[in-house]
Amino acid sequence: MSAVRFAGVSLRYSGAPADALGGITLDIASGSVSWLFGSLGAGCSSLLLVAAGLAPRHSGGTLAGQVTTLGENPHETAGRRALAGRVAYVMATPGVQLSGVAATVWDEAAFAPANLGWPIARIAAAVDAALGRLGIAHLAARHPAALSGGELQRVVIASMLVLAPELWLLDEPASALDRDGRRLLAELLRVEAARGAAVVVATEDADAMLELAQRVIVLDHGRVALDGPPANVLAGEAVWVHADESTTVAGLARAAGRLDSPPPPALRPPYPLTVSEGLARWR
Amino acid sequence: MAMTAGPILEAEGVRVRYAGATAPALDGVTLAVQPGEGVALLGANGAGKTTLLRAAMALVRPERGTLCVAGRDAARCTPEEFADVAGYLFQQPESQLFEQTVRAELGFGPRQLGWAPAPIAAAVAEQLDALELMDAADTHPYDLPSPRHRVVALAATLTVRPRLLLLDEPTAGLDRAARQLVIRAVLRVRTRGAAVLAVTHDGDFALEALDRGLVLEAGRVVADEAIAGLLGSRPDVPELPAAARLSGRLGLAVSSPRFAAVTDALAAHCRSRG
Amino acid sequence: MFAVTGGIAVLAFLLPAPRGPVVLYAAVLALSLVVGEGRSALRAIRVCLPLWILLALLLGLSPGGERQWIGPLSLSRGGLAAALAQGARLGAVATVSLALFAGFDPSRFLDAVAERGWSFHAGYLLVATLQAVPRFRHRAAMILEAQRARGLRFRGSPLRRARALVPLTLPLVLGMLSEVDDRAMALETRGVDARVPRTSLRSPPDSLPDRIIRWAMPVLVLAALVWRLAG
Repeated sequence: MSAVRFAGVSLRYSGAPADALGGITLDIASGSVSWLFGSLGAGCSSLLLVAAGLAPRHSGGTLAGQVTTLGENPHETAGRRALAGRVAYVMATPGVQLSGVAATVWDEAAFAPANLGWPIARIAAAVDAALGRLGIAHLAARHPAALSGGELQRVVIASMLVLAPELWLLDEPASALDRDGRRLLAELLRVEAARGAAVVVATEDADAMLELAQRVIVLDHGRVALDGPPANVLAGEAVWVHADESTTVAGLARAAGRLDSPPPPALRPPYPLTVSEGLARWR
Repeated sequence: MAMTAGPILEAEGVRVRYAGATAPALDGVTLAVQPGEGVALLGANGAGKTTLLRAAMALVRPERGTLCVAGRDAARCTPEEFADVAGYLFQQPESQLFEQTVRAELGFGPRQLGWAPAPIAAAVAEQLDALELMDAADTHPYDLPSPRHRVVALAATLTVRPRLLLLDEPTAGLDRAARQLVIRAVLRVRTRGAAVLAVTHDGDFALEALDRGLVLEAGRVVADEAIAGLLGSRPDVPELPAAARLSGRLGLAVSSPRFAAVTDALAAHCRSRG
Repeated sequence: MFAVTGGIAVLAFLLPAPRGPVVLYAAVLALSLVVGEGRSALRAIRVCLPLWILLALLLGLSPGGERQWIGPLSLSRGGLAAALAQGARLGAVATVSLALFAGFDPSRFLDAVAERGWSFHAGYLLVATLQAVPRFRHRAAMILEAQRARGLRFRGSPLRRARALVPLTLPLVLGMLSEVDDRAMALETRGVDARVPRTSLRSPPDSLPDRIIRWAMPVLVLAALVWRLAG
């Protein structure tokens, strides 16, 4: 089932010299984790915003082409109403994502379902479960202002999880999280995809996404440059041309190889992507 | 610049308690940081890392114990009195951007300290160049993409050539290119004799730019050793970066676990294997 | 909550001066101590003190009428009495307002809004505005810290301090503005636009005392009005 469909989508922000997104056509399926990868300004964040119907409405600019999110058009009022509570959008910094009206973490997590008129019993069950899954049940009675960035980001994610969204759009969701938080998030996204949701993550962290994502879409200057299974895409040379990055080990192999001309066979693409693959190749 | 012999930062039994808190944020911290040292402040959330940084900038007063920076007692000074020897990078860069252009922003510090126009211009140009902000020199800081805000804020702390650099999560939210800029900037100031104390969750940054790790737990120092050995050894400390792990497992002959050294060693290793 | 504030304010003006307002103020002070809002009462006093002094001087220095000697000043008795009345009114209203707003829980307020079927949007706007103040102050404090860390002098006369705050306004405003966009987007994804009635998370305690007060206030006000009119 297609969760997000773009047909010839272009986006230009007001006053910008070039398109942020240029003629994007793609189909993102439910039940899997898709990864948007690209350098700063490549369009990954913009793609997420357009899928959510948040840009260009909030940012200003023009949008061309057709966007279908969970079968609705998020850029029309009727479509947005139909999507209420079905799409989760998680940003990198937790601070701005808080409602600002909750005196406790529990209330913060209950904010969205309360707005959607859920019966209190359903809200309570969902909030307790979500806080548990993010490892913050012990913070339920705390005031959000007293929490650290990492803890707050967990609150934000839990607040989205409560809605059991069909589509997750996440933009660098792990940047505020500590090691434990990242692990929890990865596990959570895996489970969400397994239960049928569509998960789309925009991040620079290739090491983390290699394990988690079934598909990587590499954006370069607003266009789709590469598209395929992460293991294939990340091991090649093309990803360096378009995103100037891959996993750490691949980067190590490439950098070491370029010290000689031509690079020794063991340091040519396809590059090893993990420590184990590196050991297998170079021991 | 004259170098005083002895540590740039000296803390003895420092206890800091925030108003209304039951437990102290820092509970008897004793440490010394020498000029040129790079120290990573590690530990779980709430362990007291940022508090220690703030105490070093006289932003918070110790309830007990002494803390001296360049021989000045933090308990008796205000933050602005430390501004000529210490530079502080806050976790939220937006709270540090005051001016209309990047250039003016970089000049804010030296202007407050009463520098003459010529040295100010020279210092600003130096940082614009070092942090690759030349193109953005006359742009409004808020018009830059948000990862660049942190880079601008860092450049602005460096113009006054502080002898102690206090950084709170200097690489948070940065893309790889910007992270490299920060790493290089930290290494550069250390070579010039400045000491760096950085709160960080970024194992790569810690390994590449710093050499000593201090772990805080509930306001106390529970570990103080070389960063390479510390990373990955405890759950509240970042993992050892992949390059270092690989070189360890492969048994490469490396001069250091840093990326560049591992790259060279790996190349040599593969060369010899043909 | 608003009923009490409004009621006290009206009462303060209706009751015969100067004894009425003074008694009212004393009652309010006593009540605030009883419910544990002593700190708010103190804050109210701090706010009112300069105004009280001003009132006493202004009204007390008016010429004519019976005089009262305080130190070297000859003050009008009538004026002092008037000052006392006005001061007590101010004190009563200020104390009540601060005490009640100190206990303001935005979440409970929104629940009340939801239960009574009032517009959630309006309620949220009100709450967000009120919450904006502490956020503003917190942000201003952070910016000031950052500036001091770069050498901004913050000592000396209040005038010098005020001048030092000028470079703070731009980052403060810009920061708040740039936050607004992101915040608006985040809120939208959390159903703030939903057309359905919001679920109340916790029934706000509308206990018997609360209800008594809500009914008693208008009654008291009416009684005072009648009393005044009856001479």
